[in-house]
Amino acid sequence: MGEPDRRFSFRGRPCSSRDGETLLAALADRRMPLLHRSIQYHRPQGPFCGIGHCTGCLVRVNGRPNVRACRYEPSPGDVVTTENAWPSPTWDLYATIGFLTPGGVDSLHGLRRPAFATPLFQRLVRRLAGTGAPPTDAAARSITAPAVDRSVEVVVIGAGTAGRAVSAALAARGVRPVVLDRALHPSALSNGELWPATTAVFLPPPADGGDRPFTVLAVREPAQGVRVLARSAVVATGSYDAALLFGGNDRPGVLSAEAALALDGPTRRPPFRRPVVVGGGHRAAEVLEALGDSVEAVVAPSEIRPELVRVANEHGVPLYPRSLLLRTGGRRYVRSVHLQARGDGTRTVLPCDAVILAHRRIPHVQLFFQTGAAMEWRPDVAAYGPRVFAGGATNVPGLFAVGSVAGMPPSDAGAAAAAVADAIVHGSSVGERVPPSSVALASSELVGYYRELMRTPGHGRWTACPCVDVLVKEVEKAVRAGYRGIEVLKRYTSLGTGICQGRYCLPDALLLLSLLEDRPPEEVGYITQRPPVVPTPLAALAALPPPPLAEAVP
Amino acid sequence: MTFEREEYRSVIVGAGIVGLFTAYHLARAGGGPVLVVDRGFLSSGSSGRNGGGVRQQWETPGTIRLAREAVQAYRHFGREFGFNIWFRQTGYLFLAENDGELERLRNVHALVASEGLPSQMLDANGVAGLVDGIAPGAAVGGAYLGSDGILYPFPAVWGVYEAAKSLGVEVALGVEALSTEVRDGRVAGLQSSKGTVRAPTVVNAAGGWSGDFSRRSGLEVPNVATRHEILATEATKPFLDPMVVRASDGLYFSQSMRGEVIGGVALPHRPGTSRGQGSSAAFLTTMARALVGLLPRLGALAVLRAWSGFYDDTPDGFPVIGEDPRLPGFVHGNGFGGHGFMLAPATSRRVAQAALGERTDLDPAQFSPARFLGRTTSAAPERLQLG
Repeated sequence: MGEPDRRFSFRGRPCSSRDGETLLAALADRRMPLLHRSIQYHRPQGPFCGIGHCTGCLVRVNGRPNVRACRYEPSPGDVVTTENAWPSPTWDLYATIGFLTPGGVDSLHGLRRPAFATPLFQRLVRRLAGTGAPPTDAAARSITAPAVDRSVEVVVIGAGTAGRAVSAALAARGVRPVVLDRALHPSALSNGELWPATTAVFLPPPADGGDRPFTVLAVREPAQGVRVLARSAVVATGSYDAALLFGGNDRPGVLSAEAALALDGPTRRPPFRRPVVVGGGHRAAEVLEALGDSVEAVVAPSEIRPELVRVANEHGVPLYPRSLLLRTGGRRYVRSVHLQARGDGTRTVLPCDAVILAHRRIPHVQLFFQTGAAMEWRPDVAAYGPRVFAGGATNVPGLFAVGSVAGMPPSDAGAAAAAVADAIVHGSSVGERVPPSSVALASSELVGYYRELMRTPGHGRWTACPCVDVLVKEVEKAVRAGYRGIEVLKRYTSLGTGICQGRYCLPDALLLLSLLEDRPPEEVGYITQRPPVVPTPLAALAALPPPPLAEAVP
Repeated sequence: MTFEREEYRSVIVGAGIVGLFTAYHLARAGGGPVLVVDRGFLSSGSSGRNGGGVRQQWETPGTIRLAREAVQAYRHFGREFGFNIWFRQTGYLFLAENDGELERLRNVHALVASEGLPSQMLDANGVAGLVDGIAPGAAVGGAYLGSDGILYPFPAVWGVYEAAKSLGVEVALGVEALSTEVRDGRVAGLQSSKGTVRAPTVVNAAGGWSGDFSRRSGLEVPNVATRHEILATEATKPFLDPMVVRASDGLYFSQSMRGEVIGGVALPHRPGTSRGQGSSAAFLTTMARALVGLLPRLGALAVLRAWSGFYDDTPDGFPVIGEDPRLPGFVHGNGFGGHGFMLAPATSRRVAQAALGERTDLDPAQFSPARFLGRTTSAAPERLQLG
């Protein structure tokens, strides 16, 4: 990486970034940026997911709202501003609405009277909502790029360990796949055609099938759409670090492990000095290895595995196994975490400036919903995953799942890739079902954790869905009012309808509902995630060639 | 689970807004006990899948009167039902792309105005004043009625559901209506996936599935379920007040209270396709092109999700309300063609009247089931079918 010579303005002040560096990395050097306020209560939001899904780093760039700073590399001359706050995200007068309504605003029942005030309430609510000003014409023009069609044998989605192994195995059998990856700068790939910075969305297949049954809309940042028509599709989207429910879980400083690792870049100092890492297994150990001595403590919802104990001892980091994470403390930013030991109930307050969530990784399954793949509850990860058969096959002919999204351990990557490549090249019928084998915090463990947490007072205000500001309290109220099941809860509370489309709130909402409704999580139901799943600019969709109208109706 | 009783005064098929409102009116009129069955969860059908528009601009006086009554009911919904439906009267704007369309809108305007509603004709400048950023030349003018509006459908469903339940209505969700039990040539009850119940009246308010249910009950009806898709974008600060409708391609969109642009566009209907409620690539691209063509700056807004629902269409575009002359006790409250939600407070009252055997004030030529049986004259078809 070169010198920081890409000059842009941020809120009117000059800033600069290096080639290959994201806007967030440039803004998060040494201190946690507060870029955004939440949609309803204007609570301060910091970067959380680090992979372009949450609302934590939305900014306006050159007149385009809702640009994810963690996915955007500034160009010289860019004008970056913040939105949804006045006068600034740090001091936001609209936030008084949050102070005045500690129990949340009941928009279902409240603000109905007096009748003459209705238009006034409506204007106020509209004014408060919305994440940014509408885009300008110039912003829309700048992202319109011609769309192209590409016809390929195999498209691989994800260039992680599993995707690369499949690409290599296919190349060894004479097929060079197109490999799409969300990363802005994935490492090079010799045996496939790698498209970086690309999000993939399955489009429904044409009715006549044809010999290219898979249509993938690949959106290359900032917004070029390419329609890829493929004979086979391999989904190797891996897993992502899940959220966790606790009081103040939306406070700036609460980070996913992915975000924390990304912000600890080679050229910048991370925006935290004494983070607390949450987790008891392999992922927490990875984070600890990367951050080393600066880590204040490791807090685990359940037991701590020997691997992590060893790393913690090397760095002299204290361990808090079997702890309830009650809440974070601090005014705007995380300044402490409040713990309670499970069992003896001892309470501890740890000073810190970040809480890094590395307790649980869940499969990144969104793409499967659009293909009609059969999904099943996976108790090992307490989430839904695709039903996988021998050779990585799914119940959809030509669609394969490989890697951790399919519950395969990384150690099997080579063998699994060979099986998938054989199935694609030589064709094979759907064989036996392969049970997933990942090692993770199990469903029962998490449900037990949440059961204890719910019974323990002292978590204050906790948010079930930070994108839309839905409080846990509101979820409880809905269940008490008799609204059962996740589909109904989504409509009743708006949970899961924000920008991340439920990636971060739904997995825990399922567990929460299972407790509140007193039935197993798999009976609470799941939400069929709706296309395009990845937010896709209208300009990119509009530029696509018109598809045949005879396509099958999903 | 079985039902609380073996016999009801009325059984309603469909717990959408029409079925629930009908149950509510029946219970209020002392027409209980009432049972509502639905195979899905609340709002799983079109009542939870529509764009929330409520308009009074129509091509027949009969529909305009129903719509006026519905608007009044929705205005007072919060007080009566305890739920805030965020009914925002910021108008409906019909766009005309050429003089021919403008002429047609002028006729609608004349009729709407003659019913005493302050409808307005706008020129291109007037349209641009309401739709900030509209592409030059995209519209030569339009018809606008400021008291039309947009509501948030879910709380309306919850509100009527809770009100009906508190009046003693039993709502059985996850129960599929199989067919109507007939004895001595009249309705005797309902066969459901959870068993049979006795009732002298069965109301078919099954929305997109009402044609199926009528046919399963042995009644040939012309209702056709038509799949329509809709999408929602990221939320932005308010920039658009009215619901905007373009008749030429069936484009409609508005900005929700939360700031999302929500809308759809007509696609050629393909009969005989599945009843899936997913989305198609054809819709996403057609809708994106239509929206960006009309309001170019929307190109920089991302689509978050798309879904679909079913219109319950009839050949003339009018609802079917009243008892079926072929089967005494079988009452229709269907065929709303995508306008069930916006008219529900008014139409459901009449469906309830029909279920109680009372006369309604509806013109049989326009609304009765008999009009499809050649037993009465028919009205000229409604053409303002979208939005």
